[in-house]
Amino acid sequence: MDSNSIWLRRTLMSGISRRSVLQGLGTAGLAAGLSLPLAGRARAADPVTLRWWSPQASPDQLKMYQTQIATFEAAHPGVKIAFEPTSDEGYPAQLAAAFASKQLPNIVTHLPSFAAQNYYGQGLLEPMDDVIKAIGEDKYFPGANDVYKTADGHYCGTAIGNTAADMLWLRKDLMQKAGVDKAPTTWDELRTACQKMQGGGIFGAPLPYGLNSMTSLIFIGFIHRAGGQIFSPDLAVAIDSQPTYDALEFYKSMREFCPPGATNYSWGESLTAFVSGATATGIYAGRVLANVTSQNPGIADSVTCATYPTISKDVASWTFNDFPSVFIPKDIANMAETKAFAAFLFEPKGYIPQLLAAPGHVLPVLKTIAEDPTYLADPIIQKYKAEVTLMAGAAAAGKNLGYETDKHKPNLKANEIIASNVIAELVQRVVLNDEDAKATVGDIAKKLEGLMKA
Amino acid sequence: MTISASQHRTRNPLERRYALLGVLLIAPTVLILCAVIVYPLISAIYLSLFSIYTPTLKGSWVGLGNYAQVFGSSGFWGALGTTVTWTVGTLFLQIVFGVAMALLLNQNILFRSLARSLVLFPYFVSTVVAVLIWRWLFNDLYGILSHLLIQFGVVDMPVDWLGKMPNAMASVIFVGAWKFFPFVVIAVLARLQTIPEQLYEAATIDGAGVFGRFFDVTLPQLKEVLTIVILLRTIWDFKEFDLIYLLTGGGPVNNTRTLPLIVYQQAFGLNQMGIAATYAVAMMLVMLAFMLIYLYRARRQAP
Repeated sequence: MDSNSIWLRRTLMSGISRRSVLQGLGTAGLAAGLSLPLAGRARAADPVTLRWWSPQASPDQLKMYQTQIATFEAAHPGVKIAFEPTSDEGYPAQLAAAFASKQLPNIVTHLPSFAAQNYYGQGLLEPMDDVIKAIGEDKYFPGANDVYKTADGHYCGTAIGNTAADMLWLRKDLMQKAGVDKAPTTWDELRTACQKMQGGGIFGAPLPYGLNSMTSLIFIGFIHRAGGQIFSPDLAVAIDSQPTYDALEFYKSMREFCPPGATNYSWGESLTAFVSGATATGIYAGRVLANVTSQNPGIADSVTCATYPTISKDVASWTFNDFPSVFIPKDIANMAETKAFAAFLFEPKGYIPQLLAAPGHVLPVLKTIAEDPTYLADPIIQKYKAEVTLMAGAAAAGKNLGYETDKHKPNLKANEIIASNVIAELVQRVVLNDEDAKATVGDIAKKLEGLMKA
Repeated sequence: MTISASQHRTRNPLERRYALLGVLLIAPTVLILCAVIVYPLISAIYLSLFSIYTPTLKGSWVGLGNYAQVFGSSGFWGALGTTVTWTVGTLFLQIVFGVAMALLLNQNILFRSLARSLVLFPYFVSTVVAVLIWRWLFNDLYGILSHLLIQFGVVDMPVDWLGKMPNAMASVIFVGAWKFFPFVVIAVLARLQTIPEQLYEAATIDGAGVFGRFFDVTLPQLKEVLTIVILLRTIWDFKEFDLIYLLTGGGPVNNTRTLPLIVYQQAFGLNQMGIAATYAVAMMLVMLAFMLIYLYRARRQAP
């Protein structure tokens, strides 16, 4: 007897209401492949409200979400979806409070994969295997869901997109003016290019030096691009190494090419600095394309991107992909409806407009979507075809702290490490306070060990 | 006068009914106070004795281990120093700005009623909006402050107001003073309007100038209200969270990280609810100690 049958029998024996039984039947239907319509729900008198959280909530994206919501609600009478925006900086606190108070959203999208791993590791998430099956495993790019694999053989989430979050954005007009003939591929070349392009009110780069998650996430990339890592594959702290010192030295040397306020920059400020034309280079994901097109069209023809340079040609590129996820908290009400909605988010009619609300920013994880003529026909995707292709490739090979290399075990503490700001603290102490790099790295290594043990 | 046990016993039925009525009337207030003050306080103390993972609220007993960890860490003492710096700095400015503005608004100036309304604006505006406005003013690339300083030749490059010390602390203190000084204005202005005019006339006849009248008449008359204002604002500023968090996030390098920011980070960033509760209880103890000392001194100095 499977678990749904046991549940049904117990429910009938305990005399629980017809409505609950219908809900249970909805769950059973979902287990059968999310293919059954939610008949029980359709007949239920009380409307069901599903809460959807996401940090990706620009006005254009919100508009597309509303369209998806309206379509789903029309197909599932009695089900209402309430969208609630969260933020990249604020979600750990909001979710911690939500889990503690049991006031949970039904579905959470666009958070990094390591957040999903972290919560699943604490027994707080529902496995997403049946949702992935309902979407169609063969539709995904190979390995798209690898970062969501868990130790118990399930998936803690599924990818809703890919993001190449630390691409090097360049202005071809400024490069030409400064005599920079190609995109820099090494740190020395980047420094020289920034030096040449800086001037006349334009700074070289908007690297973040603030005490925030962006600085941590971006600087982790610099350590990898120096050939280092934060943890070894078996998750022992490995930050205290020569590549970290090299990365710190380079990051410090770039300070003179960054605006004075970069000491407090996070994602928004860094993006705005490049899009507004205040910096010659940028470090961001594909949202640059849409923002430049709408907010500063004068430079739109000159904008291009490259993977961020490494310390030398011998060190391979490393791109930060946060692997925007979809996950579902465990023990929420209306699980069947929630899973049906999760699978629905990948329906081409809604998924393509959702992706195109910020073209090139959240890249498709389904092959069928990436090849879809509707997706490819978008003017921004058309105009920046080379850039989007480059980002798609970089993101597909991308990694993050939860999954530093293919050899690494999933790091279930990545969420807390980012939230603790210890990596950003390392940057600030060495770059802004001029503290001794070796001693500071040693101190930070101890803090990381403490966080891993906590 | 005290009531003896025998007197209690000989109370007539009417007195007993009145006593019961009194208890019944006060009971709702006591219950609400228990629910909103006593229960959270005991909960915080209870939580501080455990190691608790916030999302699940599951944990293990550690006794006073959290306290040993907190009081033994440089982070706590550093943050306490930062909290005291912020509180003293912003409170000093609030009192100076608040008293000065109250004195001005107590004069017969043009558009006095309008000015009295407008001065309350910073206090009423939401902290998030206020911080967004100030972050724009402080912005290195588009902010008007740096722009004006460059225009007047004071600096060559935009000033990093929030990302380096001591600018960050000074900026936070200043914005805090701007946001909260209207509270001082309201309280002081109300008191100023009740000071008898004869006192000023007598002081003027005695040859007191503007400063003499302020220090010998106005300030002593304001003493009581200022004692209350300082007490309340110290408590509120000491536990101020949103303004500092939104302006600097505690940076640079934790230099503006006050105790409430640590509580938040421990509870919801690092998911260590037990340690967070320990910090909160420690904060309460520190505040209590300050308040007792302050009130003791204030009462001793009272005539």
